[in-house]
Amino acid sequence: MSALPKNVEDIHPALWRGSQLAHARGPTVDTGYAVLSAELPGGGWPLGTLVELLVQQPGVGEIRLLRPALAAVSKRPIVLVQPPHIPNSLAFAYLGVPLDKLIQLRASKTADALWSAEQILKTGSCGALIVWQNHARTESLRRLHLAAQASQTLFLMVRPLASAADSSPATLRLGVRPAGDGIVVDVIKRKGPTRAEQLSITLQPSPILLSPYARVRRHTSAPAIAGSIPSPLVA
Amino acid sequence: MRDKVFIADRGAREAGVCVGMKRGGVLTLSPDIAMHERDLARENDVMREVAFSLMKFSPMAALCDEETVVIDVTASLRLFGGIVRLCRQMREIVGAIGVTARMSTAPTGQGAWLLAQSAGRAQRSKRRVLKMTSLERALGPLPFSAAPEVRAFTDWFEGLGCKTLDDIRRLPRAGLKKRCGVELLDSFDRAYGLAPELYEWLAVPPGFSARIELPDRIEHADAMLFSARRLVMQLCGWLSAQQLALTHAALILEHERGRDAVDPTIIQIALGEPTWHEAHLMRLLKERLGRTELVAAVLALRLTATKVQPAEPPTESLFPEPGGTAEDHNRLLELLVARLGAANVLRPAPSSDHRPEHANRWISVTDTQKSEAVPADLPRPAWLLEKPLQLMMKNHRPFYGSSLKLMSTGERIEAGWFDGGLTSRDYFVAQANDQSCYWIYRERPGSADADDPRWFLHGLFG
Repeated sequence: MSALPKNVEDIHPALWRGSQLAHARGPTVDTGYAVLSAELPGGGWPLGTLVELLVQQPGVGEIRLLRPALAAVSKRPIVLVQPPHIPNSLAFAYLGVPLDKLIQLRASKTADALWSAEQILKTGSCGALIVWQNHARTESLRRLHLAAQASQTLFLMVRPLASAADSSPATLRLGVRPAGDGIVVDVIKRKGPTRAEQLSITLQPSPILLSPYARVRRHTSAPAIAGSIPSPLVA
Repeated sequence: MRDKVFIADRGAREAGVCVGMKRGGVLTLSPDIAMHERDLARENDVMREVAFSLMKFSPMAALCDEETVVIDVTASLRLFGGIVRLCRQMREIVGAIGVTARMSTAPTGQGAWLLAQSAGRAQRSKRRVLKMTSLERALGPLPFSAAPEVRAFTDWFEGLGCKTLDDIRRLPRAGLKKRCGVELLDSFDRAYGLAPELYEWLAVPPGFSARIELPDRIEHADAMLFSARRLVMQLCGWLSAQQLALTHAALILEHERGRDAVDPTIIQIALGEPTWHEAHLMRLLKERLGRTELVAAVLALRLTATKVQPAEPPTESLFPEPGGTAEDHNRLLELLVARLGAANVLRPAPSSDHRPEHANRWISVTDTQKSEAVPADLPRPAWLLEKPLQLMMKNHRPFYGSSLKLMSTGERIEAGWFDGGLTSRDYFVAQANDQSCYWIYRERPGSADADDPRWFLHGLFG
């Protein structure tokens, strides 16, 4: 036993202690939110692996959570597969994602959506791939996870929060819930110690820009409307 | 040669049928044997099919006597990774056409021809020679009947005690020339590399249109893939020989003709990125055929190249991009369009309109329409509902899961009076009890129902 080096984690890059975060296996892209980056192995979203975002419902802030990462990988196309609603291209332009790189795929069948995702990952020409799936079987997830490993694509799968109980081959699983002026994130699975307490992240930009109560910090680029009148309906 | 057995399969040989038997003899041996007339025209068609498919490797392909295709691959060896790989690829293509072939390589065309003709008994390794000395060694022990020029003098050579080509080569040249003519010696000289060879290379037709009859009436589009592959192979050979790339092609599925004629189904294949690769064309065809619904059984296929352009050589940059080239991406989009349909592979093309549902326009990636500039400082929700959802009212407040609290000042959008789709709405950002934000609007009350405001949910802040 005396032959063991002092730091066991130096023996092999895939080795880490239960109390520390793993090394990143491949390149990562910064999340843009320092609180979150500090909690992820490699300090960002890992590329070329399956990452699951478990959201309570669409529209809790998942796009704003991904905004800095999407902007960072937007040199290459960004594909949205089977989004739950119509993605608003003006919002993406507002969030700083170049519109000429966006592609939306609508598939009538789950099999088509998964097939498309696999083809995209195999080609590896896209910077980011976001797939919305409500019911995904473990074997199809594993297959996509394997396909992702050959690419340098930021591959996210957005699933309902209820599927947190199911097992998944994803290396990183985050649960997302809305909160005060942003979201709270549960780290469900990561290469590192379990984290019981939630991460609270303030998302930018906030949708509430022109509050009649002036509670929320105004975004700098928001157009200020002179003499805004509070809605008469608000009690 | 008429009414004689030309070739027999194993079952027939076991029944005692030999090559050269007459029809009556065969029927005596086994009355229920199936006999087919030899169709030279169709044989020739298959030979041309094979030759065109093999043009992928070299444009110098020639049809020779006795069902042989001679190809000069001298200049292509390095490109395809050596003779062994080249032979393997050729064998795959020939196999895909659906014929069996005996393959031989030699430094001279005539030598390779002789090896291929007579190699039934020889070992496979003896059929592949690369050097002149080993060719001489391989040709020597062949029976002399392999060379067609010798066959006229078979009896005479047998009387001399000759059995192999070597035996004939040992005879004095002058005497041979006097007795058998110049052709025999010329043929030998060409085989052994002593005289130059001249071939009539197959001329490449200016357009491509190939037809294939299916072995049976086929009712599943997927089942046609095998036959379609034969056509695609020929097409790729034709493209490679002329260094062209395909941009448009049409696959025509021919149905019943005659009294119950059905119009042929035409599948148009438009390629965003010109290609001459078989694998990509096959993947596209597979997706297209998988989505095609057949109106009737298919009897024949025809593949026509409708539009081609000169192929561009691949640019080999020193440091390739990690995600593949733009061509790879275009090929991916093509594949997605083929499977999902053009209406389901979309790119944003926002239009300058105040109404959110009009401003947020998505068009097919195949559409070449230009998009208009977008104001970059317009805060908008990331998701728009397909159809605005009317909200319930509780205590005079809109209710969606919990009662909603308006968190912003109103944004009035009033447009559409010019195209009949008049909308007049006040948009607000509302927050539910669980802190999630919604984009809701109040339909601006007309004079009639001013007391009863109707609220709708239109967007979600992703």
